Amino acid sequence: MIVCEQLTKNFRNYEMDPGVLGALKSFFHRRYRDIVAVDDFSLSIERGEFVGLLGPNGAGKTTLMKMFTGVVAPSAGRLEVLGFEPFDRSIAFRKRISLVMGQKSQLWWDIPARTSFELLRRYYEVESSIFEQRLKHLSELLEVEHLLNIHVRKLSLGERMKMELMASLLHEPDIIFLDEPTIGLDLVAQRNIRAFLRDYQREHGTTIILTSHYMADVHELCERVVLILQGQKRFDGTIEDFENLLGTDKFVSVEFKEPVDVTDSIWRPLQPKWNSDRTEVKLLVSDDEMRRTVSEILQTFPVVDFHTGKIPIEHVMETLLARPELVPLGKE
Amino acid sequence: MTSLQREASKWLSTMQIGITNQMAYKINFLLMIIGPALVFFLIKYNLWVSIYSLEGITEIKGYTLEAMIGYQAWVLLVELLAKTSNGRNLAEDIRLGRVTTYLIYPFDFWKFHSASFLGTQVVQCVIFSLTFVIVLFAGLIEPAGVFQFLAGVGFALLVGILWYSVQFFVGMMAFWLEETWMLRVIFQITAAFLSGAIIPLELYPSWLVQVLDFTPFPYMTFYPIKVFQGEYSGSLLEGYLILFFWIFVIMMFARFALRRGMRLYTAAGM
Repeated sequence: MIVCEQLTKNFRNYEMDPGVLGALKSFFHRRYRDIVAVDDFSLSIERGEFVGLLGPNGAGKTTLMKMFTGVVAPSAGRLEVLGFEPFDRSIAFRKRISLVMGQKSQLWWDIPARTSFELLRRYYEVESSIFEQRLKHLSELLEVEHLLNIHVRKLSLGERMKMELMASLLHEPDIIFLDEPTIGLDLVAQRNIRAFLRDYQREHGTTIILTSHYMADVHELCERVVLILQGQKRFDGTIEDFENLLGTDKFVSVEFKEPVDVTDSIWRPLQPKWNSDRTEVKLLVSDDEMRRTVSEILQTFPVVDFHTGKIPIEHVMETLLARPELVPLGKE
Repeated sequence: MTSLQREASKWLSTMQIGITNQMAYKINFLLMIIGPALVFFLIKYNLWVSIYSLEGITEIKGYTLEAMIGYQAWVLLVELLAKTSNGRNLAEDIRLGRVTTYLIYPFDFWKFHSASFLGTQVVQCVIFSLTFVIVLFAGLIEPAGVFQFLAGVGFALLVGILWYSVQFFVGMMAFWLEETWMLRVIFQITAAFLSGAIIPLELYPSWLVQVLDFTPFPYMTFYPIKVFQGEYSGSLLEGYLILFFWIFVIMMFARFALRRGMRLYTAAGM
């Protein structure tokens, strides 16, 4: 479905010193800086996969998406999506993909969503009866039947995102690219969008590539994750392997009745993370040590609440961003 | 459905969107569509009435006050058909990174804006017809005949396409410049003077008119008016061909700029 080999993308920006003088200087003498957004990136994605692209801001995730969809041209390397070279931007290619951008609306703001959908039906050359069926089905699933005739600009962010999703699915694309589809949404709206995406993917077997800063999105939806740091691939594997990158230690959260002594020697090997008033701590405990450590804490300190579980994916991500050396280049 | 029919249906649907978009907000619609041409007419009306009220001025190069007001009324009518596109939407789409949408949808940026423009022209034709009736009954103009009227409408509609091509070209500069509004204003003011939209070209020195004949400017306002008035001295066919030539040349430049711009496009902020 998607094959890229040694894909690279460079951008050229110019730098400007602050103030009027800086602006004047840059007017006569421009200092250019080449930025490598994606660096020697190879990846292969099969039909029906749900892949999450992870990485901090500026890591190159969106640039990859732009290259996959043909919005920008790669500077070097080979890229093939559905057997097409995306940057040729052929109509046949465009009819088989869709892109949803959480930060940018693709619908026309001053007209009702239904009118936009009707226009897209013509663009994608979808039979009228099939279109009506899909529209009915999708609007029922997303619970937006009553909003179809309202101007897009008058919809809430969550409602608009549902419409954006509908617009991207009416032609039943083979690949859907989702660039932060839940950004800015409240928790309920995020959950609704996630549930919809999961069900849709199961029903249609569509290939979906997702970028999101919400680890809940990735955790719940993606079977496979690709970690990108500074334009380079640093991890490519199943979500389980990703969660176990820091080892199979358990995550233990303990709440105390009153502030406790943080200097006690029991904490030292457990990588403790304290809250500001020392009444809550998060620890990493190995399976072997679990019984002994927990009983010692319970006996020594005034514990009021206690949780244990796998290391949260947010913690894995935070740790990897702080210590990228844990995922050296070439480790997959 | 043949592929031609499918393509036509895409254009027609986009035209409809263009019309719906334009009429979505009533006040905006009135201000954007009718406002500029009408305000421009009223300013010129007052200007010329003031000039002719000066002592000793009853005629300027064959133009009495009545003829001058008639000329300005024709300018209003021609502009309602010809100067409809302002290129603002184009430049905004580029600056705000909305071009991405047209790279994903299987209907190009150029096609979308061209079809929207044609939709706008349909609305403009209605406004033109209403204004024509009002101006006619107010006694401001004297049409030369049905043939001249139809030839004039055809001429003005072609000028509309020429004006759109120019605006498209200027809009493409948004790929390279942060803001393009100043370019549009410079061009609009230059065109207003050199096309005869403020002062009839008969009032200009003859050498300047001869020079202007090698540019598209006189075809933008002055010659369409002369066609409407039945006073166009050249061959009508030649006039149409010259307009086609300018449309072709400017559109080629615009498409070239679009292609170059698209290569530079980084879809910032996506």
